[in-house]
Amino acid sequence: MERRNGTCIVVGASSGIGLAVARRLAQGGRKVAMLARRERELAAQVHTANDVLGKPLAHAYVHDAGDLDAVEPLFARIEQELGPVDEVHFVAGVMPPVAIDEFDLAKDRQQVQVNMLGCMAWANAAAQRFLARKSGCFVGVSSVAQDRGRVGKPGYHASKAGMDTFLESLRNRLWRHGVQVTTIRPGFVETPMTQGLQLKGAISADRAAELILKARDRRKTVAYVPFKWRLIMFVIRNIPSFLFRRLSI
Amino acid sequence: MTTSVTADFRDEDVRGFGMCIGGTARVLRPTSAEQIADAFAKVRAAGGSIALRGTGNSYGDAATNVNGHVLDCSRMNRLLDFDPHTGVAVVEPGVTIRDLWRRAIGHGFWPRVVPGTMAVSMGGAAALNIHGKNNFALGTFGECIRSFELLTPRGELLQCSREQESDLFHAAIGGFGMLGCMTKLVLETKRVHSGRLRVWGIVARDLEHNLQILEDLRGTADYLVSWLDLHGKGVALGRGLMHRADQMKPGEDPGGLCHLDPLRQDVPAKLFGLVPKGWLWPGMWGAVHMGQVPLVNWLKFKAGFKEERQSPYLQSHGAFHFLLDYVPRWHWMTRPGGLIQFQPFVPQKEGARVLRTLIEKCHQVGFVPYLGVLKRHRPDPFLMTHAVDGYSLAMDFAVPSGKSGRDKLWRHCRDMAEVVLTAGGRFYYAKDAVLEASSFARVHGDTAVAKFRELKQRVDPDRLLQTDLARRLGV
Repeated sequence: MERRNGTCIVVGASSGIGLAVARRLAQGGRKVAMLARRERELAAQVHTANDVLGKPLAHAYVHDAGDLDAVEPLFARIEQELGPVDEVHFVAGVMPPVAIDEFDLAKDRQQVQVNMLGCMAWANAAAQRFLARKSGCFVGVSSVAQDRGRVGKPGYHASKAGMDTFLESLRNRLWRHGVQVTTIRPGFVETPMTQGLQLKGAISADRAAELILKARDRRKTVAYVPFKWRLIMFVIRNIPSFLFRRLSI
Repeated sequence: MTTSVTADFRDEDVRGFGMCIGGTARVLRPTSAEQIADAFAKVRAAGGSIALRGTGNSYGDAATNVNGHVLDCSRMNRLLDFDPHTGVAVVEPGVTIRDLWRRAIGHGFWPRVVPGTMAVSMGGAAALNIHGKNNFALGTFGECIRSFELLTPRGELLQCSREQESDLFHAAIGGFGMLGCMTKLVLETKRVHSGRLRVWGIVARDLEHNLQILEDLRGTADYLVSWLDLHGKGVALGRGLMHRADQMKPGEDPGGLCHLDPLRQDVPAKLFGLVPKGWLWPGMWGAVHMGQVPLVNWLKFKAGFKEERQSPYLQSHGAFHFLLDYVPRWHWMTRPGGLIQFQPFVPQKEGARVLRTLIEKCHQVGFVPYLGVLKRHRPDPFLMTHAVDGYSLAMDFAVPSGKSGRDKLWRHCRDMAEVVLTAGGRFYYAKDAVLEASSFARVHGDTAVAKFRELKQRVDPDRLLQTDLARRLGV
């Protein structure tokens, strides 16, 4: 396990898996830049984390993951204020409700903007720096939704698949230079984004964060969280299209 | 009864949590204050009565109304707002303690007062002015309420707080649903500096030792509660296991940060990670019905020594507080008779004598509670308060299924109530099932009862709001 002690960036840290990852990183004594769109919620979470820890390890940076032009200057600002960054977790994601007969480009665009382009912007900003330093770790939280195009949310599936493939390319570019890129594909996790979806057997966001950091430590390329989803998605990936299109999953 | 009224309500069997009190009532589950006002108007016009009910966790008849109407507010359950900086929540009456702590803990807050189960509703908790294991330190549930909207039986919506309609504020909290329906409440939660508490198990060899520990620790501990093995006799009378829990200070438990996840707080659903706890009640039924409670209690008491040696240990807030949720449907173990809980509140000076007398009476009569829980309390500012500067001992009795056995238990409890009332003690209507009308003024004093009746006359002159409890007490 590689020892890291630089600053971490968590994009999408005001709730759900991002918050849980940020908390675990700070709990381990790391300085964490917590990025999120909702200023009030983020400030409260940063205050809570520092209050529990008894020292100011968490720092709030208001940022909309869809605001791609803001990424490079914000990355530079964080490094200036908190020191060199050696770990970035991209956990921001949107999944608006989409009716089965709804074809709304605005919703699709929003998901691609945040889930895919947002991840690419942060990954590029991190890659330049990590490549120069020949070290660093980028963890992108994709989804099991990327494995197949299912009927429910085409925009979400496509945005996660795009992000996932981008991270694979990035990993293949950077591994030879000592930079780690890990893709996380969570299954059912109880978070504000999945609230009301009645996900049977969902794990807690904190358990997901624990498994994500374990995958990072083991330098995994792709990790299903929890592991059982690797088996479930193996089955789903291999369902022939003529059957799959008749299913409502 | 008009046709429109019966069309809205449905006949259901409505019982207290103890299952032994209640019967058929016409039930409506409103989702808005307008629906409640409409139901009030219709039933009043028809000359009927209405009982307000939350999630139905009062042991006795505080939320039943046999042959009357019941407004079950459990579907009015929106958590309207939670301020992540101050921890102030705005809730509808059907929001449960579970809903509230699950929202609060993620932001580093916890309800100031929680009972032994997370299933109770905010409306019910306020109307019965419930308490928790920190009653001696932070007071009752009512003390964390800033304000509420009270919908009176005449359809008025009154804003009540310590400054506005102060009399109604202090009477409706603890007023067991007699003055109106709280349709929206604003309440405070408290900041916690970890997702865990530091907990000690302390073996108490007898009743006096238990009381001594409560007195010694109440100035420093945040939570104190003692489980009593009431089957202990002689020198072991009132023996038990005290639990003390303290909150962490900032920086004291960095590892408690990840425990702010709500799912890290839930009580475990399976025993040893395998057996669903919902399957355990038949085993407990066997212990109750085959006379094995003394053995189970003895084993639990002995296990306390090991826990004491391993103390202190860290435990999540949820796991420490919600002992009654460890085994789902545990109360079914008392079927078919059901259960009642007798919880006297006794002034501190009389505590040792009165509680010892009550336990001895249980042994003499042969009704020994399968569970006893001892807590420390302090007075509160509410009109119909049950609190005293002293102790309470909650005693759970399995009710015999036959009428003569049941009557004998009721006589026993009334006999014990007389000892408590003579000593200046009080009772708590979330639990009570046995007090008679003649005791009502003795519990609260003539002045408080007169004031309560005056307020009732003001807001509910038609006596629309009634429960089986209110009729039993002659409110």
